[in-house]
Amino acid sequence: MTSIHPDKATAERLAGLSAGGVVTSAQREDLGDGTLIETPGVRPPLVLNNRSFGEVTDIVCGYAENPAPKWWLPAFAFAALVAGTGGLLILYLIITGVGTWGLTNQVDWAWDITNFVFWIGIGHAGTLISAILCLLKQKWRTAVNRSAEAMTIFAVICAGTFPAIHVGRIWFIWFVFPIPNYNYIWPNFRSPLLWDVFAVSTYATVSLLFWFMGMIPDFATLRDRADKRLRLGVGGQKLLGIIHPDTIRAYAYGFFAMGWRGSSRHWHRYEVAYLILAGISTPLVLSVHSIVSFDFATSVVPGWHTTIFPPYFVAGAIFGGFAMVLLLLIPARELFPNFKDLLTLRHLENMAKILLVTGMMVGFAYSMEFFIAWYGGNEYELHVFLKNRVSPWHAPYWWAYWTMITCNVVSPQVFWFRKLRTNPLVIWIVALFVTVGMWFERFVIIVTSLHRSFLPGEWHMFHPTPVDIGIFIGSCGVFLTLFLLFLRFLPTFPIAEIKAVLPQADPHGHGAHAEKGAH
Amino acid sequence: MSTIDQCPSTKGPKAKNPKDMPPAARELVRLNGDARLAPIWRSAEEFADAPEFRDFVEREFPAGASELAESSRRDFVKIMGAGLALAGAAMVPGCRRPDHKILAYSREVPEQVIPGKPIYYATSMPMPGGGAQGLLVETHEGRPTKVEGNPLHPINRGKSTIWSQASILAMYDPDRLKNPRFRNPVRGDLPATWDDFTFWANEHFKKFDGTRGAGLVIVADRASGPTRDAIRARLAKRWPEMTWVSWDATSSDAPVAGGELAFGRPVRELFDFERASVIVSFDRDFLHLEPGSEINARTFAASRRALHPGDAMSRLYVAESGMSLTGGQADHRWRLAPSRVSAFAVALAQAVASRLPGGNIAPLKAALDGIDAPAGEDLDLNAIEAIADDLVDNRGRGVVCAGATQPAEIHAICHALNAALGNAGSTVRYMALSEDESSSAAAGLAGVAQQLDAGRVDTLVFVGTNPVYDAPGALGLGEKLKRAAHTIAFGVEPSETHDACEWSLNAAHWLESWGDTRAVDGTIAPIQPMIAPLYEPALSEVEFLAFLAGDAKPNGYDIVRDVWRAALGDNDFEKAWRRALHDGVVAGSTQRGETPGVNFAAVARAVGALKIGPGPRGQSLEAVFLASNMHDGRFANNAWLQELPAPGTMIAWDNAALLSPATAKRLNVTPDPYTTKEPKGRKCRVNVDGRSVEIVAWILPGMADDVVLLPLGYGRTKCGSVGEGVGFNVQSARPASGALAATGASLERIRGEYQVASTQNHWSLEGRTSIFRQVDKPAWDTLGSNETRTPDAIYGGTISDLNFAEKLGELSHTPPNVSIYANPFNESLDAPAPGSRYARGPQWGMTIDQTTCTGCGACTIACQSENNIPVVGKKEVAKGREMTWIRVDRYFVGKDLNNPEAMVHQPVACVHCENAPCETVCPVNATVHGDQGTNDMVYNRCIGTRYCANNCPYKVRRFNFFEYGDRNINGGYLGEDLIPGGGPTNQNLIPPSLRKRLDEIQRMRMNPDVTVRSRGVMEKCTYCIQRVNEARYEMKLQDLDSLPDGFFQSACQQACPSGSIAFGDILDPESEVAKMRGNARSYLLLGYINTRPRTSHMVRVVNPNPRIRTPIDNPFHHGHDGGHGGGHEDGHGSEGDHGHDAHGLPGDDHGHDAPHALFDPRKKAQDEGYALTLRVLGAQTGMMA
Repeated sequence: MTSIHPDKATAERLAGLSAGGVVTSAQREDLGDGTLIETPGVRPPLVLNNRSFGEVTDIVCGYAENPAPKWWLPAFAFAALVAGTGGLLILYLIITGVGTWGLTNQVDWAWDITNFVFWIGIGHAGTLISAILCLLKQKWRTAVNRSAEAMTIFAVICAGTFPAIHVGRIWFIWFVFPIPNYNYIWPNFRSPLLWDVFAVSTYATVSLLFWFMGMIPDFATLRDRADKRLRLGVGGQKLLGIIHPDTIRAYAYGFFAMGWRGSSRHWHRYEVAYLILAGISTPLVLSVHSIVSFDFATSVVPGWHTTIFPPYFVAGAIFGGFAMVLLLLIPARELFPNFKDLLTLRHLENMAKILLVTGMMVGFAYSMEFFIAWYGGNEYELHVFLKNRVSPWHAPYWWAYWTMITCNVVSPQVFWFRKLRTNPLVIWIVALFVTVGMWFERFVIIVTSLHRSFLPGEWHMFHPTPVDIGIFIGSCGVFLTLFLLFLRFLPTFPIAEIKAVLPQADPHGHGAHAEKGAH
Repeated sequence: MSTIDQCPSTKGPKAKNPKDMPPAARELVRLNGDARLAPIWRSAEEFADAPEFRDFVEREFPAGASELAESSRRDFVKIMGAGLALAGAAMVPGCRRPDHKILAYSREVPEQVIPGKPIYYATSMPMPGGGAQGLLVETHEGRPTKVEGNPLHPINRGKSTIWSQASILAMYDPDRLKNPRFRNPVRGDLPATWDDFTFWANEHFKKFDGTRGAGLVIVADRASGPTRDAIRARLAKRWPEMTWVSWDATSSDAPVAGGELAFGRPVRELFDFERASVIVSFDRDFLHLEPGSEINARTFAASRRALHPGDAMSRLYVAESGMSLTGGQADHRWRLAPSRVSAFAVALAQAVASRLPGGNIAPLKAALDGIDAPAGEDLDLNAIEAIADDLVDNRGRGVVCAGATQPAEIHAICHALNAALGNAGSTVRYMALSEDESSSAAAGLAGVAQQLDAGRVDTLVFVGTNPVYDAPGALGLGEKLKRAAHTIAFGVEPSETHDACEWSLNAAHWLESWGDTRAVDGTIAPIQPMIAPLYEPALSEVEFLAFLAGDAKPNGYDIVRDVWRAALGDNDFEKAWRRALHDGVVAGSTQRGETPGVNFAAVARAVGALKIGPGPRGQSLEAVFLASNMHDGRFANNAWLQELPAPGTMIAWDNAALLSPATAKRLNVTPDPYTTKEPKGRKCRVNVDGRSVEIVAWILPGMADDVVLLPLGYGRTKCGSVGEGVGFNVQSARPASGALAATGASLERIRGEYQVASTQNHWSLEGRTSIFRQVDKPAWDTLGSNETRTPDAIYGGTISDLNFAEKLGELSHTPPNVSIYANPFNESLDAPAPGSRYARGPQWGMTIDQTTCTGCGACTIACQSENNIPVVGKKEVAKGREMTWIRVDRYFVGKDLNNPEAMVHQPVACVHCENAPCETVCPVNATVHGDQGTNDMVYNRCIGTRYCANNCPYKVRRFNFFEYGDRNINGGYLGEDLIPGGGPTNQNLIPPSLRKRLDEIQRMRMNPDVTVRSRGVMEKCTYCIQRVNEARYEMKLQDLDSLPDGFFQSACQQACPSGSIAFGDILDPESEVAKMRGNARSYLLLGYINTRPRTSHMVRVVNPNPRIRTPIDNPFHHGHDGGHGGGHEDGHGSEGDHGHDAHGLPGDDHGHDAPHALFDPRKKAQDEGYALTLRVLGAQTGMMA
């Protein structure tokens, strides 16, 4: 370990083997973290332990440069195995037919589209943090935006898989793209599924650009550090005696750094581009899930045909996305000790508050559905909500509905208590509940509405098959695999942005720590 | 054998000039394309001469294969066989577009065949249990592909049934017997040739000439036809001592005995329901399961059409033990055990007799009064009085009939009542039965068993029968068979009997044979081959019988002609023969039936001795055996019929011991609720008279309590890959007497569960009365105006614009559906906007009359046959993936699932919405609207997102989850057993190598006008677009301006025995469909969504007797006083509990005392809510007026 790194002490510190600098910020024991300041007017620190600029760089780059912690390889192997199994199941599905899922002629979508909407929703936190919180100058976003954006990309990859593999003839999937073809048939621009194609692909493209562009300066840092070690000759042994790891780093990171030199002109253009992308992404936060909700809202199916869906889906997506961010970052925070300096309890608390707010928004949406079903006076719609979802005496899927309510509406209510919303374990558990609940929300909307539609003669249950379940778990494996690779090889925090929120970045005292001096 | 001579291309007459045809025949030609006589194909090999198939053929019968030498016509078949062959598997087969090689049908086209244009031939189908249907068979380039009813045949009148429709599949069944098989005592089973058999038989049968036939027993299928009768006479002449048994597994002796009691000779009733006003059925399913039910369905429907208010309508009373299709049509229905049905019949006879003072019924009255019939609370005496009055008031216009579960005395009583009421000769006539038809099948077989026991049988020949499977279990025939020295089984399909016999001989299917039939009304019709036997050599039934009678080289064509020549005379025989072949009937052979006098004294004597039991009590149940869709089991290898849901239960691919929900609960065999898992039933053992059968128990609402209904025809152990192991053989529990009802049965639960696949798991309408609309006749008479809807604003307009039927539905409850956008195509609910594409004819539409639909399923099978719809198998049906384009939804109506008021049927296919929800959501434009108003499916374009199916309110779209079209059972997909489906799998795991060869044959049945869909593609009803297009070409060829109504029919319309489906151009005011659509009974299913369906349904009208149930005379006033409108809230037991837990019990919280439950009291509150809403909106609130 030490062989690769020039400075043993730094290496140990970065790997979590030794403590960081002296904690100087004021903190109260009962709150557990220096960032949780109750005093109004006191801006709490966003980075703990008085990190210097150099330390921030070392911490962030250290994750990519040092050997992986012991748990990483087994975790990666496991996740990759799950992902691979999922991939094989997808192959089986494509070879054999969509019938290997439990779908029926009455319930033509079930887990496939549930998973699609679920994963698309997960992606929303990333865009929201990157774009909206950026525009709103929420500085705390710096600690989480890179990982949340990464999650967005990975979630969109998982999400995009499902609509592709759910079709009966995947070899003709290109029909959905407006490509000129020999018989001059355009796609049907009236179809919400086509809107999905555009919305999701736009979203994926913009998110990827946003994520990638944000990483360019950090790639350059990684490149330069590798290059420096090579020139100093402190890089340690060659891989298999052939090539030095830092050579690979220098070229790979160098490729993605796209010639970044850190000049003022670069930074200027970077900032402008970042702002433009944030501006472009902001409507996407609202549009993508609104359009996904049109898959349902524009139909005639009772339980789908609901004008409330667009805002309801967007709120739910942000809700589910933040839950997933918390679900992954809280363990990462424990496993990478220095993470805690950058990703503090205050960050967690803020996100918990967002969970509470969006959770109540979806709760409101749930209740409005009932009101509208009653007020609309449509027998079929009322039946969907009262009989097909809620009533344990009538609804076969009542347990799914009540799982959803418990997870999404009831469980975030613990965040009314500060003690609970600053407890990472509690937050993690609630985030887990919310993730489960949000999956069930989509399941409830899709399956309970379809399984009993207009004509009772065609009422039919849906029973998932092992292939249904396996492909969903496989998609979780893909997500986790990609996230582990991200933690291992990419800059997990935006170095420059974090430095910008350090007290040192604000020597004239306009920022975070000025208050202390002033008072 | 000598099939070459069968071919009309060599022997047949020259084609007729259409101008020489009689007018009716010309009409036929016009309706059905060119039906002139034309050559047919010699053999199957000509069609499937792919190398694999030839190998197969040569291996199976070397002798036959050598005949195939070089035939010039065969070339096209090579093409066809090769063209159908798949190009083989790719590495990832799913990722490949199926690769078909197609070559043109251009060489050596035979005379008169216009490539691509089907030719129709008339023939007829012998039906199980006697009787026949007259059919027209569509052949494409020599392949029969579709069966239709023969419009000239009095039984069919162009209509058909599930069995005739499905027979085409049986002919192409790859499991058919292909060659004789001999069981050598030493070397075991040996494949043999017909020459082997002929050689053996010529020696063997000689010895009976010495014994005058003693020791020879022939068990033949019960059938009737002049040729067969003639050969039978020859056989009797050659071997007078021979035993001949006319076997029919689904009959009982009671009807024959009843006729003998009443008339002194056996008779069969011929009903004319069209003239009937009052019909009483005692456990008789005259609409579905008996020879001649085709006429009954037609005339019964005619008596109930009630198209206009005030139209006469018959009234049907049914007392029955099961829940039959006839029971579903009843205006009043009582569910009673068979013995109690008898008690009901006796009570009714008493009531009628007491109203007919004096006269010849007097002795019967005394006898009836003398019967010790336990009254019992189950007999609704008030109703019986009312029925008696109804019958007496409608003398000469009534029908009283009894089913085969009833004893002979009840049949005799019915005959006597019909005679005394003057119905005989008017609505009921009688046909004398031949000796064959009237002989007791069970007694005949029992006699054979006795002879076997006594060792007096040397040779036992089964001709088209399968007693080893379907003889009553008490006879133990399977075991006794070994006591015959020689056994010979002759038949088309493999069977248990074939398996047990020394010689197993393959027969030609009736579609490959010459022969003739005699229908229930005496109509004689020819059977002519549509194709030479697929598995040549094979003998047809008449040829085989003639061979036994001594013909060295029997030739069906000559045999039939000889018999007919004898009957018709030599004069002009050719002309008469050709006419009969062309028309499919022998002119003048139809009889009206006669009206023999009833011997009241004899009936009285017999009735005096009648003992009527107290009915089932406690653990002692009554068992009823009933034919099923498989009939006696002979159709068990027919996948279409297996997948057709059974009436009432909607179970496919199984039979079950059916119990009423209350009885099932009492016996603790209630099946699983479908809502918690894939439905499983409880295994149970049914004991009847010391014999038992292990079977799964299931519930059927409307069954009599304490009755167990055992459907026959399942549980075959040798019948081919489709039917083996499907269901349970209940014949094993049947009494030796062959009776179809037995007392003293018991049922006990045993360990185990069994998966049951049902296409419709839900019993009730969930209070959604607007989906199935029904009114009582008085309401229709007083409120049903015959006006069409008046022109309205774009949609809906005001409530007062709605017709009678629409006022019964959602549109009467909601504010008018006024669109905020102008609709470019429509001006009003009915009228297209001038100049729009819907204003140019033809615009196709369909109406379905729910009053006359009996739910028989003929439309489903006809559609399956016409449109190449695949079968998916039990596991897939259980998942809800059946592919039928037209389904018949069945709902039970009433407050109490155990005792529903009615079982109603609603056929639903794609309704071709003008505003189709499916079309807007398809991302790839795969489902689009045609200019003629059809919602078209472009298979090539479909990628299978299934969004259209989700958005279809009618759920009529069907998705090919697997490659069903190619491998048609259970999907046949890779690793199918990985998916837990439960239950035993269908025994259909044929090795792929063999499968492919067999598929070649199966593909020959495909309609070439319709695409076979690949996996991943959505499909649905097309309104038979291929027929539409064919008709349009014909229109242009014939230089017509427009298509005359009836120029062509959709497959379902053509098949429907009750004529409930109308199809045609809705812009043509003279067309039937336009008239029906304009009828005040016509409503648009779920029309309130503004889908604007082109298929409209028609309100069901029932005709209750006001003395039994007060009719609802104003359905629009329902709920105002809270007094009527009984509470059929949400389905009792519908949530899977089948009425056995807390919420779904009969008479629960919504149990009002109102008589009629189609109107929901909850609507009251909603009505008020809507009225309030309307007031708030300032709209007109005249809807309640």
